[in-house]
Amino acid sequence: MKAWIFHPVTYVPSRPLPQVWPVPATAYDTEIGERSFHNAIEQAITAEQLGFDGVSVAEHHYAGASLTPNPSVMAGALSQRLKRATIAMLGATIPLTNPVRVAEEYAILDNLTGGRLVAGMLRGTPNEFLTYGTNPDETRAQYEEGVELILKAWTEPLPFGWQGRHYQYRTISVWPRPVQKPYPPVFVSANSRESGSFAARMHLNMGLSFCPVHVAAQLSAFYREQAHKAGWEPAADNMLYRGFIHVAETDQKAMEEVAHTYWQVPTADAKPSVAHSASETSGGGTATATAPADLDVKKALSADQFKSMGLQFCGSPDSVFEQIRQLKNETGVGIIDFVFQGISLPHDMVLHSMELFGKEVLPRMHDL
Amino acid sequence: MQKDTTTVTTTPSAAFKEHYVEADGFRIRYLEAGQGTPLVHLHGAGGLSLTPAHDLLSQSHRVIAFEMPGFGSSPINNQETMDELAATMGRATTNLGIDTFNLWGTSFGGKTALALALQAPERISALLLEAPAAIRPEGTAPPPANDPEAMMRAFHAHPERFASAPPPDPEVRARTWPMVMRLMGPNRDHAFEERLKTLSVPVLVLFGTLDGVISPEMGRIYKSLIPNCHFVLVYDAAHALTEDRPEAFTEVVSDFLERHENFVVSRRSTVIHP
Repeated sequence: MKAWIFHPVTYVPSRPLPQVWPVPATAYDTEIGERSFHNAIEQAITAEQLGFDGVSVAEHHYAGASLTPNPSVMAGALSQRLKRATIAMLGATIPLTNPVRVAEEYAILDNLTGGRLVAGMLRGTPNEFLTYGTNPDETRAQYEEGVELILKAWTEPLPFGWQGRHYQYRTISVWPRPVQKPYPPVFVSANSRESGSFAARMHLNMGLSFCPVHVAAQLSAFYREQAHKAGWEPAADNMLYRGFIHVAETDQKAMEEVAHTYWQVPTADAKPSVAHSASETSGGGTATATAPADLDVKKALSADQFKSMGLQFCGSPDSVFEQIRQLKNETGVGIIDFVFQGISLPHDMVLHSMELFGKEVLPRMHDL
Repeated sequence: MQKDTTTVTTTPSAAFKEHYVEADGFRIRYLEAGQGTPLVHLHGAGGLSLTPAHDLLSQSHRVIAFEMPGFGSSPINNQETMDELAATMGRATTNLGIDTFNLWGTSFGGKTALALALQAPERISALLLEAPAAIRPEGTAPPPANDPEAMMRAFHAHPERFASAPPPDPEVRARTWPMVMRLMGPNRDHAFEERLKTLSVPVLVLFGTLDGVISPEMGRIYKSLIPNCHFVLVYDAAHALTEDRPEAFTEVVSDFLERHENFVVSRRSTVIHP
């Protein structure tokens, strides 16, 4: 099995941020912001040194949980600091942008990394559609067309035009071309049956995120079944799972650290926003998670409560290894994209968790 | 190649009127509507049938959709080569009093149109090739006439939106298919492809991304051979391009007919409010 580390580039605040989206810029501290990028790069380099197989980045806007509204820029920075690790775009949010631009950016990145790019293409979640005023009802259609357009932009050898429903171009000829042929591995979400069908039909790799193991098992079985109907059989490396993780010397210590520092502490005057209600009904796939409003942070939560918030891997190295093994047995995924950086977890604690994982879990995981 | 529509009563849109013209001993039926620059259409192997694109194009062009000799209920056509058929269609156009015109060929008719453009480039202002059949991957077979479902999927991106085609009339097929295969020539006609390198007419080639009859990967070959050629993919359309996405087709071909290679310069306004 392969282990990647997801890099949201989290702004870890010194006091809680307003529980609204967009988060107002008045809450932003320049020094914390700049340090967030520095810490993120340090975590990525550490990950490579520890033997992680890859580092992933994602696209999120207007908030502190992730400071990479354009993940390509972050991946560009990482490409110059990481020598061996896969750099995985998970990914550009296609309906928010120009698909030909994504094809160009990913081609640049595949060149900068010498052919180590993974090209994820995502649809986005409802709050993200508010960023640039994208009509949520049209995003599924925009997304599917955008993905096809990107793949054609990488494979048509001569300039071509595109008469789509949502995109129109007269003449496209992407330079540079990707290093990997025909193009880098493409990952798309299979978090819903609709996305899973699309992934299988288009012969694309799939990713699941933050769902409980039994749900991941159902979704991966569905993807495999749809792929079989489309005439191909996915292997373990075609399937990825992203989840939160925290490792400490003992289970107890891990739970305590998470309870006190992992999640964003809600403010007393938090009020629900359009974005939050939209997010809640979106059905998963968000890279951020906030503790329920009525969480009593002084009380340690149970493992089940953590799991329901997306923290699938938590405990001592042995416990975490068992959790990984269970996920593999039930879903068949070959890649796990771990989120070590909890919303409020201090940098040193993230590094310690990563190091414990690197020394005591990763070698065993590579043998699975 | 189009699905066989000759057994279905094709009702032309109200604006299209039926006429006949003589050429080379053939009495050639055609449907015409609209005013302005002539746009001559040569149909696919399934015969003449009007699509929403004909209606849309007739709003800005004089559209003349021929029924080529040997198709429909016209007498057997014993012509040996596509060049002969093309010359006949050129003479039919002359006999309508038309000197220069825009030319649109669909599938089988795409090869006819190319042959005509090679013979008389000075008459053709611009050439549209809709899923043309002149260049086909080696090993391509005609669409499976005895499998209506597969046939529908090859022609339509969303078959459920169209009434299923009735099985082809064996009598009509017996009459037209030998002629189609004879005139269409081999999948890769190297002598013909060499001639394409000399074509001076501006050409627009269109393929649907889901074309199940002729692979859209053929588009790049036309572009590589023909000097002034643009290639456009029409998303979510199969072989029956103008039935699947008539507005998308019409927008780009109208622009190309008007501006030729300058159609790459956008004229679409992005002003939301003054």
